[in-house]
Amino acid sequence: MMQYSEDLLGRQNADGGWSYHRGGSWTEPTCYALLALTASGASHTPEVRRGVEWLRRCQRSDGGFAPRESVPESTWLTALTLLLPAGAEGLDRQRAEAWTVEQTGRESGWVNRLRLWMLGADSSGDSMSFDGWAWYPGTAAWVAPTAVSVLALEKMEKSGNQGDLHKRIQEGRSFLLARRCRDGGWNHGSTRALGYDSDSYPETTGIALLALHGATGPEVIKGLERGEQHLAACQSSEAASWLRLGLGAHGRPYPAAALPMHGGVMEIALAALADAAQAGRNPFQV
Amino acid sequence: MKLTRRSWSKTAGLAAAAVTTGAAAGVSCAKPAKNTQPWAPVSIYRATSYSEELYDLVRRIIADHALDVRGKHVVLKPNLVEFDAHTVINTNPKLVHAAFEAFRAAGAAEVRIAEGPGHRRVTLDLADAGGYFATVPKFEAVFTDLNLDEITRVPLVRPQSRLESLFLPNTVLSCDLLVSLPKLKTHHWAGATLSMKNLFGLVPGGVYGWPKNVLHWAGIPECIADLHALFPKAFAIVDGIVGMEGNGPIQGTPRAAGVVVAGASPVAVDATCCRIMGLDPARIRYLQLAAGEQNLGEDLIPQHGERISSVASRFAVLPGLEGLRLPG
Repeated sequence: MMQYSEDLLGRQNADGGWSYHRGGSWTEPTCYALLALTASGASHTPEVRRGVEWLRRCQRSDGGFAPRESVPESTWLTALTLLLPAGAEGLDRQRAEAWTVEQTGRESGWVNRLRLWMLGADSSGDSMSFDGWAWYPGTAAWVAPTAVSVLALEKMEKSGNQGDLHKRIQEGRSFLLARRCRDGGWNHGSTRALGYDSDSYPETTGIALLALHGATGPEVIKGLERGEQHLAACQSSEAASWLRLGLGAHGRPYPAAALPMHGGVMEIALAALADAAQAGRNPFQV
Repeated sequence: MKLTRRSWSKTAGLAAAAVTTGAAAGVSCAKPAKNTQPWAPVSIYRATSYSEELYDLVRRIIADHALDVRGKHVVLKPNLVEFDAHTVINTNPKLVHAAFEAFRAAGAAEVRIAEGPGHRRVTLDLADAGGYFATVPKFEAVFTDLNLDEITRVPLVRPQSRLESLFLPNTVLSCDLLVSLPKLKTHHWAGATLSMKNLFGLVPGGVYGWPKNVLHWAGIPECIADLHALFPKAFAIVDGIVGMEGNGPIQGTPRAAGVVVAGASPVAVDATCCRIMGLDPARIRYLQLAAGEQNLGEDLIPQHGERISSVASRFAVLPGLEGLRLPG
């Protein structure tokens, strides 16, 4: 854990943010680095303050966050910023929350439903019935941004913020359950195409299980079993960290395995977060 | 009057046709384009296995097409999608390494391998599983994950899709020569996925997500044509040694075609690959869009090496795509 923190601090850019590997700062690795440092107990260090300050400067006039400053569009990353501790000073969390709540996948909108109806396609299936979240505005909802948004709104709800978030959270969790692959896990969110079943991936199975913490039932048990199978065969540190976070959220903790790491900020931060969660400090949950 | 699906469809048929373009793989009957200028030559080479002979083969490709890369920055863009040990989704790393060594031997100042997979975020782990680390020495040092690269916003040139601009990775925007190294595959939406469709991997997931769903909503064939318009001089080397038929690009069946197809015009290379697979380029919508007024007739694409007829193998396609077959 200490080593991960040192690695992350050594990779902080001069502007306070983090890149994925090298180069300019991006919102996503900055958020995960801050989450990991905070989970390691470094909440009030100058480095964390500089990181939060970088994020604060990136918040857009609509309340959302773009992938990086040069992208003129708020995206799913807005939800990710809501996972930062409430003490992350300077972020306008209410407006970020409002932006997130407004977002839905394009496929569940009435225009697309009408389009499918005109084409004679069946739009009544479970996968179209629930509002999830998209990676990018104006596109369909997918598993990973929906899982992050569910976790973010849960955190906002439990931290006492006003607003009827419960319905949206439940909708997102239903979306995730409806997008399970036939093998029990999750992929990016396309479970079946042209009559063919798609297989799940380790990393998306982990993040979906994390967002479904507390859920029970046969479909969740099957997901957990698939997650454990993925973890046993996993050769990716990043994917294994998501699986450890997801399984741990259901009371199935797993220690870190010795897997090759490539040195990316996401990979380091997620390994730190999985370790922290195993030690009882899961920053994704209140 | 009660509005039924049938009556609505009848009155709104044109509108429906317009909104379905994003999912349409082909056109039913394309009128031959008038411009009969010949395309850049396309070479077809026999290659029956991923052997050491590929190193000589790619050197020959560079020589045959008189590619002068001395002092230039070259980016090799393979097709790396997902890994499944039971099938052949990705460009074989042996061919990619052969290209890497051949371009270096031809005097390139720098050769990088770069890819931005559309579904999986763990690109390096995917490359490792796919054999890239084992095949390409110091792979990490020469590889760029295009999903997470530095980016620049680029306006689209006379866009065919609904997009006006795209963020694209600087590694590709700043190179002197982009080499598209796709797998020879059928595709369940686009009909075929070859050197032009391979450019979807340039679009950064770090901005648009996994999958790069903006491209789907803006129209798949149209976005393929738009990306091609940004990189019209990309060189193409297609891995058709073992391709994929049926439900490509991921769940299809391996199909040994025993060819490598290469050329300086991605449109001509892809049209030739379609003919090798038994598909009619005139029925592949993105090829028609990219070709514009230039006729894609076989006689207008100078062929080097093998003849199409001598290497053609009729790839299986999904039932809904039978209409893409070559006549006869």
